Amino acid sequence: MSKSYYDSFFNATGDVFKLLLDLEVTRAGEHAADEELQNGVQIQIGVTGDLTGAITYRFPKQTTLEIVRIMSGMDFNELDAFVTSALGEVANIISGNAMTMLSEQQLTCDILPPRVALDEAKAGHTAHVVESTLLQTAVGPLELEVALEPAV
Amino acid sequence: MLWKDKYNIGVDLIDRQHKELFDRVGSFMKTLRSPDHWEEKVEKVNETLAFMQEYVVVHFRDEEKYQQELGYPGLAEHRKVHAQLIRDVNEFSRQYQAEGYREELVQQFGGRLLAWLINHVAATDLKIAEYARSKEGAAQ
Repeated sequence: MSKSYYDSFFNATGDVFKLLLDLEVTRAGEHAADEELQNGVQIQIGVTGDLTGAITYRFPKQTTLEIVRIMSGMDFNELDAFVTSALGEVANIISGNAMTMLSEQQLTCDILPPRVALDEAKAGHTAHVVESTLLQTAVGPLELEVALEPAV
Repeated sequence: MLWKDKYNIGVDLIDRQHKELFDRVGSFMKTLRSPDHWEEKVEKVNETLAFMQEYVVVHFRDEEKYQQELGYPGLAEHRKVHAQLIRDVNEFSRQYQAEGYREELVQQFGGRLLAWLINHVAATDLKIAEYARSKEGAAQ
């Protein structure tokens, strides 16, 4: 996989976290340990166009609740419909910004609506090449998985 | 309080309207997230929802008028973003009514709207301010 696919999503994640949450995002490792991401939220966004595959964002429960608390100024205890939907929109915004970055490399792609799942095993995808990285923020970790390949 | 000073774009009318919009979304969320049973709060939720929806339309109209007067080159794209949100809100309202004011639907809508609004004001609308400043700089 061209590293630049991944970089677009990593950079977009950093930009959106800074803008919406005033949080810095750093790379913490190549793979996330499953226990770090248990009991959390998984958001998968399909990609079509010059590239096909999916982007998956995995947020532990505590990271999720803190993100929504920062945005709303309200405390949340459970991963309910409001919380998961807010996080799905954040992932949607990140992915949309990454599409703009990819377009600067002459790659025209569209994203599909976010699919939100709670505490599930890692979702499957059809792309053969995957780059998955654990990211760190002041409110906890998240995992970014980019599974994209050129459309045939 | 959802509003942050960093969202100010430096145009009095638009900044006042953004604050009002954040206030209305804040009231809607406060009612939506109150610990009362759904049956006890659904009427108030619907009132604050309608109050907020009305204001979105007023604000988008005024903001587009300002962009037109400014000669903002991103107006057509900005209009599309506003129109898409209004379509989404209308579609949500139709479904919410059709399904008998189901709580889960409006909770989902509230979460999505919160993230959308912050991103729109903090990212998209700030580009208008950058353009206005660059135009002022060029005129001096």
